[in-house]
Amino acid sequence: MRHYELMVLLDPDIEERTVEPSLDQFLNVVRQDGGTVQKIDVWGRRRLAYEIRKKSEGIYAVIDLVANPQTVKELDRQLNLNENVLRTKLIRPDAR
Amino acid sequence: MTKAPARKPKKKVCTFCKEGVDYVDYKDTNLLRKFISDRGKIRARRVTGNCAQHQRDVATAIKNSREMALLPYTNVAR
Repeated sequence: MRHYELMVLLDPDIEERTVEPSLDQFLNVVRQDGGTVQKIDVWGRRRLAYEIRKKSEGIYAVIDLVANPQTVKELDRQLNLNENVLRTKLIRPDAR
Repeated sequence: MTKAPARKPKKKVCTFCKEGVDYVDYKDTNLLRKFISDRGKIRARRVTGNCAQHQRDVATAIKNSREMALLPYTNVAR
């Protein structure tokens, strides 16, 4: 089990309050595999430094979780399949 | 005429070493903005005065940050 930090950049056209429930649904895969989700931090709408898919805004969310490498990889894959997800970034802050 | 006296460069101390930072966060854009030029380029080590290790950490953090559109890849000149 490792500690990961996952940043998700979502489409600005979705409702901001639906963000947390829908992310939670994605995170079920982590919970089912014995991992834990420590924190979901929704930053909300933010201006992008450059346009992504013709959009100049995005909804940022940062998730702290502890999980197995395969689980986290699967989570990242599923997120990227979703059309509402513009970018994801998975980082292990304590790797060094 | 005599040449201008050779300038002694002031030795800068790496700000991260001074504060004992061991992880440069890519989410902290306010901090990282200090290390990019107004064109969006990463400032050189001789400008920032960072040590090699921390300069590298900053550069990686900036690059991560750019991928998430938190920082620009380029800024058009004003």
